[in-house]
Amino acid sequence: MNKPGLSHILTFRNTAIALVVTWTLLFIVVPTLMIAVVSVLQRDARTFVTPAFSLESYMALADPVYLKIFGKSFAYAAMTTLLCLLVGFPFAFFLARTRKRWQKPLLLLVIIPFWTSSLIRTYALIIILKANGIINTWLRAAGIIKLPLEILYTDIAVYIGLVYTLLPFMILPLYASLEKLDFRLVEAAFDLGARPVQVFTRIILPLSLPGIMAGAIMVFLPAMGLFYVPDLLGGAKSMLLGNLIKNQFLVAGNWPFGSAVSVFLTMLMLGLMAIYFKTMKRINTSVMEEA
Amino acid sequence: MALLKRSYLTLVYLFLYIPILVLIVYSFNAAKYATVWKGATLKWYAKLFENEMLMDAMVNSITVAVTSSIVATAIGTLGALAFYRYRFTGRKPLYAMVYTTMMSPDIVMGISLVCLFVILGLKLGFITLLLAHVTFCLPFVIVTVYARISGFDPAVIDAAKDLGAGEFQIFRHIILPMTAPAVAAGWLLSFTLSLDDVIVSFFVTGPEFEILPLKIYSMVRLGVKPEVNALCTLMFIFTLLSVIAAHYLVKEKTK
Amino acid sequence: MKKLIVFLMLLFPAAAMADGNTVYLYNWTEYMPDQVLAQFTKETGIKVTYATYESNESMYAKVKLLDAGGYDLVFPSTYFVHKMKNEGLLSPIDKAKLKNLDHLDDTLLNKPYDPDNTYSVPYLWGSTAIGVNTTYIKDAITSWQDLWKPEFKNRVLLTDDLREVFGLGLKMKGYSVNDTDPAHIKEAYELLVQLLPNVRLFASDSPKQPFLNHEVFLGMIWNGEVFMAAEEMPEITYIYPEEGAIFWVDSMVIPKNAKNKDNAHAFIDFVLQPAIAKLICEEIGYASPNKTAVSMLAPELRDNPTVYPARADVEKGEFQTDVGDALLVLEEYWEKLKTR
Repeated sequence: MNKPGLSHILTFRNTAIALVVTWTLLFIVVPTLMIAVVSVLQRDARTFVTPAFSLESYMALADPVYLKIFGKSFAYAAMTTLLCLLVGFPFAFFLARTRKRWQKPLLLLVIIPFWTSSLIRTYALIIILKANGIINTWLRAAGIIKLPLEILYTDIAVYIGLVYTLLPFMILPLYASLEKLDFRLVEAAFDLGARPVQVFTRIILPLSLPGIMAGAIMVFLPAMGLFYVPDLLGGAKSMLLGNLIKNQFLVAGNWPFGSAVSVFLTMLMLGLMAIYFKTMKRINTSVMEEA
Repeated sequence: MALLKRSYLTLVYLFLYIPILVLIVYSFNAAKYATVWKGATLKWYAKLFENEMLMDAMVNSITVAVTSSIVATAIGTLGALAFYRYRFTGRKPLYAMVYTTMMSPDIVMGISLVCLFVILGLKLGFITLLLAHVTFCLPFVIVTVYARISGFDPAVIDAAKDLGAGEFQIFRHIILPMTAPAVAAGWLLSFTLSLDDVIVSFFVTGPEFEILPLKIYSMVRLGVKPEVNALCTLMFIFTLLSVIAAHYLVKEKTK
Repeated sequence: MKKLIVFLMLLFPAAAMADGNTVYLYNWTEYMPDQVLAQFTKETGIKVTYATYESNESMYAKVKLLDAGGYDLVFPSTYFVHKMKNEGLLSPIDKAKLKNLDHLDDTLLNKPYDPDNTYSVPYLWGSTAIGVNTTYIKDAITSWQDLWKPEFKNRVLLTDDLREVFGLGLKMKGYSVNDTDPAHIKEAYELLVQLLPNVRLFASDSPKQPFLNHEVFLGMIWNGEVFMAAEEMPEITYIYPEEGAIFWVDSMVIPKNAKNKDNAHAFIDFVLQPAIAKLICEEIGYASPNKTAVSMLAPELRDNPTVYPARADVEKGEFQTDVGDALLVLEEYWEKLKTR
């Protein structure tokens, strides 16, 4: 056993743990607890909350309106994740297969557009999609359509905007995990007569699964709370979770209810993620065994 | 395959860059509200250079994005290692908390952090902004790096340990090189998130340290000024040139 | 850590010297011309720090979280003045310190949101009424009722503000925009549901853009937005409906625990000078409450009814006041409206 000397306490291991634990406790756990506490208190118009226990906020969540809001947000987030994966996976795959020297600059080129203001980028999308915008002007000039297509303020515009905003969050982790994939395995499989579909499902997919999971989570979770892009491009006609929480805090001044929605969302997502990880693991091991 | 690869990559880059191209073209548009083309002009660039508040906010934004992304990447990489490799009390619940931060609505995070800072007696400004930005960037670094570490063969680390390598040496000589692309990706994501945050920053910063995204979102009420297009164009061209220059400089060196 | 702090202070000298002779303004980005700020500093030696917010709601939350301190002069809109006053967040204005108060127009003073203007001084004012693109709509629009016409299916814009949208519904039912009766709010909601098929979007940012983009032909909009839009597309006009428009005033208020109240008063008085007020309204595009300044304006701006409505239109209109807990009811119906 180690003697409890200072040099033994200040090991690299302990420093790493201490650093991340302290930060997480102070800036993540404590604020989350504050929100959890607020969610079981009573609203007060003058001081935001009064220290009286109440489960009213959670009871109010049973209203079908909130199910609708939740469903819409979930649908947007799930669809966006799927679209990002469909667009991002081939991209990350091809990127990982280009010459090493080009990979870094090409990867940087993916993220540079996102260093300009998101509002300004969304406005640029509006200029492209609007009734007298670039797409409609071209289509009309080419004689394909007579009246302008209504793209702006529809779900299509929302999806274009969401994918545009979140795509790098899929591409970067996917690339980071595909980049280390040993392509000799792929070649060997082809040499042994495997069909492309088999190569993909048996080799590429299982080996890139951690990247897919990371990417899916990093797109899905932020998408659940995002509302600026859907509001600007979709016309703010349907309320999303992000709007709901913001309105409860800022417009209605109902901090307990806003907190309750946030806590409920967190718990639900954690539950979903636990299920997701378990199934992914099972698929992963079963695929591995088959292979 | 090569043709498919090239055309697919080009197509996605087009999707990413067409809006930026539109933005650049419109920064030269004489029309004030950027809806129709009314001839070319450089006046927005001239106005931009007179606009000290906007320029100051840009410098502040870049400062906080650079520092917070570096701090977040450092802590996040160590964090991913700690969560993956070390066993300590509260490891699993803490790791779950990291995920919850990613979906925590901005407004909730902004309000709870500002309450915490007020309780701690911190003066709102650069430091509080930095703490908040590191906090919301951290999960993205941890998740990216963790995904990469978990794909590795643990036998390599065990072998190094058998040969007498200490934890720091394992980190320095095995884990860091192996995770380098993920660390870089985590840094890029952090920098991007920090540079564009509005709501959390609004709550945790003080009057002396205003950042660019807030200035821009606050223009919405009167209509975003064309100077902002000019500013975004300049920032974009500057980063693009830096990347190209860095690429060729590195190439020179390796020769 | 100490070294780091010293280093940071060297990096940001502004933060280190902040406690000099300063006034901390809290306002929308560029809602005050730079020239005015520079001239104020030049004449008084008081440095101006200009901080920004992106909505009245978030400004209110922040001021309240900071216990009405941190900022010296804030520019809330009508009912936020009322709300902040009711919650004890404001410090009374010391009128003895304001030499230029007489320049203000009486029609905009002593309103229900702040009787006698004990806590607020008007800065700029405007209205929410109907914008029409006359390229597409040839018939004269005279009433809020016209928004419901079936031929405008999918062509109407509403602002993304529950007080304004429900204000419209309440008004159409013959109630005040500030009505707090849940039964009346429900009636307004039912009327608004009928309007939904016509609504193309709720504009969460500048409402002039969808007009300029030909996405909508008519709708709820602020007068300053139409004034600016008409510079590019003169076909867009502004109509004060016969039921009356909703009027609002952005006011200057001093938070209760502001540190530099004297400087804040000095700034208010500076802005009240006719020459400065004239400059502000020319630059920003909204109307000035300063009658002396208005009389000095160029006739084409002064006589533009979009910016300066006829007295009768102002008298017909209503100013928003704080509705207290009725906001919870409004928010509930707002959620219902947006999940249909």
